[in-house]
Amino acid sequence: MESDIPLDWFLLFAAAAFAIGLIGVLTRKNAIAVLMAIEIMLNAANVNLVAFWRYGPLRPEAGPIPGLVLAVMVLTVAAAEVAVGIGLILLCYRRFKAADVDQYDTLSG
Amino acid sequence: MLRNLFLVISTLGLACALATVLSRNLVRAGLWLVAFFFCVACLFVLLEAEFLAALQVLVYIGAVSILLMFGIMLTRGVQGTDPTSNPSARLAPGLVAGGVLFLLLSYGISRERGLRTQRSWATTGERPAIEPGTEGPSTPRRDAINNMGKALGVELMSRYVIAFELAGLLLTAALVGAIAVAHREEAFEPSSKGAPASSPAAESASVA
Repeated sequence: MESDIPLDWFLLFAAAAFAIGLIGVLTRKNAIAVLMAIEIMLNAANVNLVAFWRYGPLRPEAGPIPGLVLAVMVLTVAAAEVAVGIGLILLCYRRFKAADVDQYDTLSG
Repeated sequence: MLRNLFLVISTLGLACALATVLSRNLVRAGLWLVAFFFCVACLFVLLEAEFLAALQVLVYIGAVSILLMFGIMLTRGVQGTDPTSNPSARLAPGLVAGGVLFLLLSYGISRERGLRTQRSWATTGERPAIEPGTEGPSTPRRDAINNMGKALGVELMSRYVIAFELAGLLLTAALVGAIAVAHREEAFEPSSKGAPASSPAAESASVA
């Protein structure tokens, strides 16, 4: 493996994907598009976790795959988040007749 | 070779993410999101986490994106057009915020100095080797990579068992909560007075 991929390439990819996800969260109006952008950000965090696991030193008390376990937990939480989020968006769609986040203004005075 | 592969995959992935964010049609945005998930799975393969790549394909492409598609089609009609998306008044501040965040993160990544016992991120050019003969006959990392499903199962059942149980609890709560939240209001409201025992789903939906 004479020309391995440097670690910071993965980190820069994750940073760029996270920034793109932030752009999506800030600019999209549709609630489901916002949910998609959040998924992009979670995936960027996962890439970071796995890259640090592969490139960093292993502590014996943390086991052989600490980063992977953390990434699997992120995956689980993301799946649960999407399920509840879609349910909430459907509820709000029935109530407000819109799926745009700027129409949900019941709490704004 | 590996570097070129990484450059191709990451460029494709970033382009797919950008298309997800900027596409006006929501169904197309969801399909771009599937492509982005697949590129991230390819990066996991490059990081020698093949089991996680399979999980990514199964969970994200198989479940999450299909759920998002259902959400789009239940709220927008089958076409999924989003005529209100991306007015330029919102796009410019978002682009500025994303660009500033990326510049900050890349500055931090390139200037990181590392701990005392550890090299900095910017100078970590290659990963710890796992070929036979480089670090003795058997290292924990090599065993885990070669047998990742087994290693993950053992770890989840021994060292991370509390996190595993909490994740199971969270999934159960999310399942019940999603059903309760998205329960149809018209279905139970006329009949809830005469119903002998209302289900918890109907109760929480009426509260919501």
